[in-house]
This record gives sequence, structure tokens and C-alpha cells, in this order.
Amino acid sequence: MSDDWFSSKRDEFIKWLHDENRRRGLSRAVSSYTAARDYALSCLPHLEKIRKEVRKIKEYAVEQMDELRKIASERITESHGNAYFARDANEARKIFLELVGSNKIVVKSKSLVTEEIHLNGALERNGNKIFETDLGEFIIQIRGEKPTHIINPSVHVPKEEVAKTFSKLLGREVKPDIPELVGVAREYLRDKFCKADIGITGANVVAANTGTLFIIENEGNARFVSNAPPVHICITGIEKLVPTLEDAFKVVQVLPPYATGILMSAYVSMITSPSRTADIEKTLVYGAHGPKELHVIFLDNGRSRMLRDPLMKEALYCLRCGGCMYECPAYRVLGGSFGHNYFGGIGIIWSAFTAGEDKVAAAIDACMKCGRCKEVCPLEIDVPKMIECLKSRLVEKGYLADKHRMIKENILKTGNPFGE
Amino acid sequence: MPQKVLYWKGCMSRFRTKTIADSIERLLTLLNVDYTTLGEKEGCCGSVLYRTGQTADALSVSKNTLEKISSLNIKDVVTGCPGCFRTMSQDYTNAFRSVPFKVRHISQFLFDMQGELRGHLRPIEAKVVYHDPCHLGRHMGVYEEPRALIKMIPKVDLLEFKYNRNKALCCGSGGGVRSAFPEISLEISKSTLGELPEGTDILVTACPFCKYNFVEGNNRKIKIEIVDLPELILRACGG
Repeated sequence: MSDDWFSSKRDEFIKWLHDENRRRGLSRAVSSYTAARDYALSCLPHLEKIRKEVRKIKEYAVEQMDELRKIASERITESHGNAYFARDANEARKIFLELVGSNKIVVKSKSLVTEEIHLNGALERNGNKIFETDLGEFIIQIRGEKPTHIINPSVHVPKEEVAKTFSKLLGREVKPDIPELVGVAREYLRDKFCKADIGITGANVVAANTGTLFIIENEGNARFVSNAPPVHICITGIEKLVPTLEDAFKVVQVLPPYATGILMSAYVSMITSPSRTADIEKTLVYGAHGPKELHVIFLDNGRSRMLRDPLMKEALYCLRCGGCMYECPAYRVLGGSFGHNYFGGIGIIWSAFTAGEDKVAAAIDACMKCGRCKEVCPLEIDVPKMIECLKSRLVEKGYLADKHRMIKENILKTGNPFGE
Repeated sequence: MPQKVLYWKGCMSRFRTKTIADSIERLLTLLNVDYTTLGEKEGCCGSVLYRTGQTADALSVSKNTLEKISSLNIKDVVTGCPGCFRTMSQDYTNAFRSVPFKVRHISQFLFDMQGELRGHLRPIEAKVVYHDPCHLGRHMGVYEEPRALIKMIPKVDLLEFKYNRNKALCCGSGGGVRSAFPEISLEISKSTLGELPEGTDILVTACPFCKYNFVEGNNRKIKIEIVDLPELILRACGG
């Protein structure tokens, strides 16, 4: 095997290590996050109990993923929505292309699942215009970059760089003043929400017994996206399903403090059906002020395989708060290069199942298995154990760094890794 | 009558951080411990192979080592390397079910001998910060014994990293990163050193890998001493 798989990742790592702008952005974010989260957790002592309950909920729910998806799909259909099941990324893109068609204006709120299935490119190639509306996603969309954090996708872009990007977009000088930068995005995106034909969101958790989608956010853009256009399409992984509304509310309490260090998000949208009214003669009409149509796509794309893998299924409990990434010593210096389509240790496991093991064959060698991620995870997911297991599988396939091979040869020959 | 002890040096202390092995041997002698080493025949515990996914080789190497130690009929093993400590305690038990000897890290061993040790300790006037090695702390739950030993030294002022114990930051050398990506390893070492409380005189760790990586990462930039726990204890004993 040639060592391209290793050397190309090493080059990407080195670029990150030496990119002062990205490192500055990241390190500012790490210190604000950790301070905010520590404060939020100190205000919410009862969360200790709830996060343990959520672990139990997830342990149960992922075993029932398939059943819960069927229940949720039935409920959504009963309330005049449409539910779909996509086995892989290709099927999901097909469903999207049929629903969206061409020449449409599409507004999106942040969804890592749409990154996972490479949705934007597919829709654009069909002649649609896509606007990312989450501020972080908006910044990297116009910069033509990839997200580097699941909650804060532009975490690597410091304000000075954002100002340059916005100045170019507007053709006038924008100062690196954070409130002013936020204002620019607000002004630019405002009318896009109402002009859009279609709004696309993800979901943070789905209650199967009512088919209710929960969308947790702070900016208010997901509310616009899921409410202003006549059509709302939501795509979510099947591991986001929990049995009941009560379970979902527990997840909703755990996510905000761990994700962004706030006690509760500014907005939690619960969506169960298209907008409707029966105010005139008790006659039910769909599409009052909100969307006429609601489409929910449940995506598998490796998740069932994860469930059937006893050593890896714990990864399905991940709520995607992203807290572990800020706490990861490797992510702190490598940012978005430490992973593939998902980041950090848990992201390496997720990338392996959703994009392919070979995609993380080299990135995994930057994990020190230090175990800090497990300590800060609200669900105490044992990431280092899964990393060691995945690494061992990769080695069996031949993905072994030259240095590690040399160490082995030295040990076998001389009894020590130095060969002395 | 106390049982004979095997002092397992570990590869780092045998070849790269020899002063750690020397300090441990001098402490064992000072405390009249009846100990032996495997000398040139020591070999490898298998830790680096387990951590780099070379599981089949890790199993054969560690089986060899397990048999070698078992044949000595020694029940009490002490090591200064948390990697060896974790591997022999956890990985051996997982792989071979029964391990016919007990392994302790030198910090636990010295802590258990505090009665004998205490009388030897002379004051060290310094602000000392203890770094929790990942293999010793998070992976094996040993947080307090090293701190208790440091505090036993008269006049030592023990400070803490902001993130300590189970939240401690890694030195950057774990999991095969130091060999696969030395640049990353050093960058992480620097970033952890950057979190040292102001006024620290001595950074004490309890792992040859951490010591080595911190010394390299610091490259004499910050004016501190970086020592391993047995080295500090030996110094307090006048060594």
C-alpha cells in the first residue's frame, strides 16, 4: 500500500497547525465555551440526574430505532405530513431532488446530516439556489469552506476574516466588529426567508409517539426556515428518535448547556404537522401562516450497521452537542482537519460509518486516546475504547503508519520500541 | 516477611529517561525493599502495540511478558510507567483473564510505604504543580497518591492546573501520536504547558512519556523544572 492515505492527512494537519488565523479563532472559542459551560452546569445541578436518564433513554431507543421510525412515520402521515426512509445518502439525495425539483430558492438551517449526504452540491447542480442561514454556515458557505465544528461550523474563522469575507460580499467595507458582522448577515438574509420556495432543516430529537420534530437553536433562523417558506423538508438520522415527548424534553434540557454553555436555548421549535386552520366553518385547511407541506426524511446511512456492531453502537447515543470537541487536546490544535465529515474522536467513529473507514485511517492516528472526551460527555460515551477498536480494524486492512510498523518490528526484534 | 518485588522499568526509563529508573532504584534501596529487575531481559509490555491498533502483535508480546514474569513466581510488581501499569493491569486481565501478580504504579507503592518514607523527607521550598498522566489518572483512577506524596515533602506548595484529575489535559505523547505526528505531539505539549499556573517552579509528572514530551515541548522556553515524581521524592530524600 502506498502511504498517500497517511501523507495527505499529515499535510492537512500541518496546514492547520501553522494557520494562525484558524488557531486564533479556535482558541478564542474554546476559552469562551468552557467558561460558559462550567457556569451553566453550576446553575443546573439537577442536570446530573437528567443526563443519566437520557443515557438510559438512548440505550433503549437505539435498540428500537426501526420500530420508532415506523411509529413516527405513521404519526406524521396521520397529521398530513409525509414521511420517508432513506437507506443511504444516495436515496436521501434522490428524495430531495424529487421534492425540490429545479430553479428553486432554498433556505437552510444548520444540519450536519445534509453535509453527510452532500446535499447542497446535488441541489445546486439541479439549478437551485441555496442560502445557508445559520451565521456560521453562512460564513463558510460564502468562503467556500467546509464546516469545522458541528455546533459552531465557522469556529476557525476569527472576526477579522469574517469582516474581509463580508466586505467582499457586499462590495463595501465591513469592520471586524462582531455585532456589526451579525447585523450584516441579518440584513442580507432577511428577505431570503420569505422569498424561498423551500426550507430545509435537521432535527435535534424526534418524539416517536407524536411524530414531533424538535429543533433547538439560538439565532431564530431555523424558525424562519421551517415556517416562512410554503414547504418544509426536515432530514434527520434515525438515531435521533426517542419513544415519547417526555423523553425528548429530557434531551432538550441536556443539549444547550453542553452544546453552547447556555441554560436553555433561545428557541425550541416543536413541529408535528404542516400549518393548518379550521377557523372557517370548522373546515380543515393546510397551509395557514406556516408551510402547506411538511416532509420528514429519516436517514439510516450506516446507523443500523453501527447498531449491529456491539463494540461501536455506543456512538449512536451521541447527542451531537460537540462539547467533547472543544475539550479534545487534538481538536484544539487541529480543528476541522481532525476528522472527516464529523470531527473529534466521536466524529472519527461517525465518519467511519457514514463516509467509510478509509476516510479516517490517518486522522485516527492523531487521537491520543487520552479519554478526556469521555469525562466531559454528558452521556459518558467511551470514545477512546471505540477508537482503539476501529484502529485495530484499520490495521488489519493495512492502514498502519510507517513509524508504527517500525516500532512493532523493533519490539519483535529487540524487545523495545527503539530497536536499541 | 514482605514478598520480593519486581521493579519493571519500562522502555522509556530504560532508554530515554534513565534518571527516572535510577531514582526509583535508589528509593527502593533506601527503603530496604527486597527487589529485583529483569535487566536486559525485560522486553516489552505491549502497551504501544495495543494503543496503535496492532492487536495481534500486542497479544503475542504481552503473553510472552506475562509468562516471563509469572515464571519468576513474584506476586508484587512495581513500575514507574503508567502505560505499563495500565496495560499489565487492564489489557492483560481483558486478554488473559487471570494475571498471577499484582502491579502497582510507583506512586501507589511509595504511598503504601509512607511510614518508612516520611522520616527521610527533607524540605523543598518550591511551588510545585502535578500533571495527571492519562494512563495513571483517567484510565486507572490514581489521582490522590501522587499528590499525597508531594504534600508529604515539607515546605512544598502544591498548586493545581485549572483542569486537573479527570479533566487534566494530555501531554501530547499518548496513543502513538508522538511517533505518527511528532509536530502535533509537541504542539499539544506546548499548549498544556501554557496552562501552568503563574509562579510554578517545578512541574511534576508521574510518567516517563509525559516528562519526555514536556521537556521537548518546553525546549527551555518557560523557566521551570520538569521532573518525574520519583525524582522529586529522591531529591527530598537528599539524593
